[in-house]
Amino acid sequence: MGLKPATNPDVEAATIELTIDGNRVVAKDGVSLYDVIAMTGKIIPAMCYHYTFDPFGSCGMCLVMQEGKKAPVRSCTAKAAAGMVIRTEGEDLFLARKKAVEKHLSVHPLDCPVCDADGHCELQDMAFEHGVTNLPNAKQKFIPEDTRSLVLDFNMNRCIACAECINMCKDVLMIDALQFMKKGGFNQVVPKGDVALQCEFCGDCLAVCPVGAITNKFSKYLYKPWQMKKTATTCNYCGDGCQLYLETKDEEVIRVTSPLSWKNKWGDRAETAKGHGGLCVRGRFGFEFIDSKARLKQPLVREGDRLVEKPWLETMHLLVDRLTEIKRKHSPGAIAGLITARCTNEEAYLFQKLMRVGFGSNHLDSSARYGHMNFVHAMKRAVGIGRSLNGWEEFTKAKAVLLIGSNVTETNPLTSVRIKEAIRVYKAQVVTIDSAVTNMAKLASHPFLIKPGTEGLVIDGLVKTVIDQDLIDEEVVRKYPEAFGALRAAVADLSLEEIAARTGISVEAFHEIARIFAEAPRSIILCAEGIVRKADGYRNVLKLVDLAWITGKLGRPGCGVNTVTEEPNEQGVVDMGAAPEFLPGQARFDDPIARERFEKAWSASLPAPASGLRLVDILQGCKTGTIKALYVVGENPLATLPASMEIRSALEKLELLVVQDPFLTETGRMAHVVLPACTYAEKDGTFTNLEGRVLRVRQALDPIGESLPDWHIMTALANAMGCQWEYQSVNDIQAEVRKLVPGYYNLGQPRRVEPLPDDYLANGYAADVRARYAAGADPGEGGRPFSLQMGQVLTHSGKLSTEAPGLMKIAPNTGKLRMNPLDMERMKVRDGSKVRVTSERGSLQIGVEPDQSVAPGTCFFPEHFNEPPVKDLMTVSVDAVTGVPAFKQCRVSIEPAGSNQT
Amino acid sequence: MSVGALTKKIVQAALFHEIWTAMKVTFRHMFHRPITFQYPREQRTIPDTHRGALGLLRYDDGRERCVGCDLCEAACPSRCIKVISAEDKARPLQRYAVEFYIDITKCVFCGYCVEACPVNALAMTKMYEFSTHDKRALLFDKKKLYEIGERHLEDGKKYLYAHNQEQNVEESREYRYYFPQSVLRSTQPPPKHLS
Repeated sequence: MGLKPATNPDVEAATIELTIDGNRVVAKDGVSLYDVIAMTGKIIPAMCYHYTFDPFGSCGMCLVMQEGKKAPVRSCTAKAAAGMVIRTEGEDLFLARKKAVEKHLSVHPLDCPVCDADGHCELQDMAFEHGVTNLPNAKQKFIPEDTRSLVLDFNMNRCIACAECINMCKDVLMIDALQFMKKGGFNQVVPKGDVALQCEFCGDCLAVCPVGAITNKFSKYLYKPWQMKKTATTCNYCGDGCQLYLETKDEEVIRVTSPLSWKNKWGDRAETAKGHGGLCVRGRFGFEFIDSKARLKQPLVREGDRLVEKPWLETMHLLVDRLTEIKRKHSPGAIAGLITARCTNEEAYLFQKLMRVGFGSNHLDSSARYGHMNFVHAMKRAVGIGRSLNGWEEFTKAKAVLLIGSNVTETNPLTSVRIKEAIRVYKAQVVTIDSAVTNMAKLASHPFLIKPGTEGLVIDGLVKTVIDQDLIDEEVVRKYPEAFGALRAAVADLSLEEIAARTGISVEAFHEIARIFAEAPRSIILCAEGIVRKADGYRNVLKLVDLAWITGKLGRPGCGVNTVTEEPNEQGVVDMGAAPEFLPGQARFDDPIARERFEKAWSASLPAPASGLRLVDILQGCKTGTIKALYVVGENPLATLPASMEIRSALEKLELLVVQDPFLTETGRMAHVVLPACTYAEKDGTFTNLEGRVLRVRQALDPIGESLPDWHIMTALANAMGCQWEYQSVNDIQAEVRKLVPGYYNLGQPRRVEPLPDDYLANGYAADVRARYAAGADPGEGGRPFSLQMGQVLTHSGKLSTEAPGLMKIAPNTGKLRMNPLDMERMKVRDGSKVRVTSERGSLQIGVEPDQSVAPGTCFFPEHFNEPPVKDLMTVSVDAVTGVPAFKQCRVSIEPAGSNQT
Repeated sequence: MSVGALTKKIVQAALFHEIWTAMKVTFRHMFHRPITFQYPREQRTIPDTHRGALGLLRYDDGRERCVGCDLCEAACPSRCIKVISAEDKARPLQRYAVEFYIDITKCVFCGYCVEACPVNALAMTKMYEFSTHDKRALLFDKKKLYEIGERHLEDGKKYLYAHNQEQNVEESREYRYYFPQSVLRSTQPPPKHLS
């Protein structure tokens, strides 16, 4: 390990003084000299240096003169020390640097005109700056270009062997997919083992390549950097809320670039704690859906069994007539609405206002109901605010991270980079508890594989261990003796041995996990799809809160319970009140004070306090006929929920189904009216990420075809329904949100959350906790030895990513069930052979493929694909408190299909 | 005024001196060949350096010189050039211009684009007669530009030679760079002068 970050919560580096160009400079001890010079505002050239990883020192550009040394020294690899006298300018240094550029340039092809990096090339800049016009001993390399990978092309003629890509991949992302190899007489960067590159394809190597040696296949030769309009916006794939630049030429998205690039090499390594500015494969290469051919360009209206293109005006007239008629004939409560969490905060706000004020119905819900609501409700109950407690910086600087039921590398890749940095730089101990061999488990200090569906039991065991082993925090227990007494009594009956047997983790392991978690000064819990998207999600999050508070981790800086979200704005739609139980700002819908405030602000009366159906109830209502009209904004319940929910027949019963979406989804095909909406690239707004930061979404393109931003459609609809909305732009909506939810935007900074468990622990905690730890009987296998899991894969997000041709090229739907190779061997099936999968809900024939990351006894199918319809095998259980449907796991039996039996 | 000068003036006035001076010019020109020539029946000889309509050139084997590098677009002060480039599917790694437009109505005939071209694909020709009834015809597309280039190939080459950009065709082909080969398929042997 080379240089350590200047600031570390545990060790404060000593302050030293040195002289740079005659000025006295104060710096931290042990920092790279280059950083110290950069901090003074001087920029000296460096082609192999980037502050996110340890200095490599190959380019020979960052030369400075140190007093007492005859030759220039490389400032990146030199450590700043007290009393150094440094000179950074001068004729001798200029000539030395020029020589270095000449050295690089003499083996670099001068194919700038056709190079994609032309105009954004550090070597080009340096050659210009140092006036290199004559190369006496130029020679060519003639290395064939490596075009084997699906995403990146490696042109090693252009490589200057700065190793930024390798260092980035190995040190920062801990993927280690690239290496140097001596081939054809030259040191080249090749994929590990010199095969076609097959990695996470985050593209950060592409971003840091200072020349054009690594190029992007999706936008190769389509552009010159100066031709494009660069729009800084927020990624719409997951809750990480990464900032990215959409680069567009005319009305076409050419490429996506990240804030991370070779250009931002000046900074302190501690800055990366808040994010290194990189992207993942979805953000960087999944942009092609924006100007996809499949986009809806005109409103569609059903005529018989066909959807016919109609002009906007006619469609809106028809729509408003039908809605008014339904409202008059039945009641306002016959209209319901669903919104996707890929809409902006402003749109979520308008949506709930339209439903409540325009239609007069409280039957509205969002896709946060698929899981995140479990977390929101549990946290709101326990600490008073329904969101994650920690930000990325606290993730990075944690000493212990408990990752439970979260395949964070696949779902939220950039959050996983924060945890990787915690491991690498801050030496955190990471405990992973999952029923799959996740990528994080391979990097973690304490990986544990549990039996599928036993996450809740593991938490039971951990709480019990903490109490039994006396790892509790005395101070908190003294403060809430009754609550602690109730908890101790609740877990008293549990047997750790039995839990150990059922979960597959040994008793000693429980002791170790509890000790790591309780003893670390900063412990973070991260629970995700394995907890919140499965049965008992609400209870399990509350149990995690129990674990945190008895160890004194609730409310202590750098500690807390967190989740990650699949869609970019799941937190935002909840905060904006797109749920029947919440008004904007997470005010309870039945809270009379909040109701009065909003009724006054909106000059309208709200629907009755107790009314309001949740997602599953709305769909149930469609089936029973209480809901007559459904307004679906970007949501696609037909393709998401299992067939046993009978969504199709429910939607068929509707008198009016309105779908507003950029694409014609499965639900859209059943609709009476389809309204073309814009994607995030064509509208302004904000997303709230998992840290609670409100991030700007900026318009990069004009709307494609006749599509319109969702807020625009909703405003028009509301005005046609008799409201007087005067929103001319997103700013007008933001002004209203600012007034009603003060401090929500908070200049894009995360709002500090002060967890307040007093009320929760003092009132009614004892009654709650008793029921919570009543471990149910082991459900057993019931003759179905396998556990079928459905979940997210790295390259996809919801159904949206399947519209991006680039991502589909990287990870197409194989239509195969992933199984552990050992299971396959035992069952005597090969890759591609067909098996019959049978669950309680039915059976289907499907091919299998081996996957090492799937644990024995389980099988996996990506939730993004419905071909074959594996999701229809799932059973649904709805959480009683939060109404979250859990349908990502069920028990199945697998046998080789008849035709393949030998 | 002196007496001499006055006398001279009177004598000149009496003899219509100004008329004779003017008639001298007239009579002299009676024996000159006329400078006016009968355009368009007669055409002027144009120097090789003349900056006329732009054309795209091909190599002698018929291959397009243009590699779609967009540098002409960057160099153009009146922004009348638009290049849309892509990878040639038939020849992997070869960048080429899918579409190439020059709005000749905006062109100021500065010749910067020709100077910027790294492969001497663009040249100015001696063609200057492109008036038309339809202004849309003056947005030259790739096809039209290659037509011009073919029709005025000799002029284009002379232009490049005169502007000191190209000595002969063979050299221009090997000018500056080549395209590396793919691992999958070899597309193009290394150029002669570099192997």
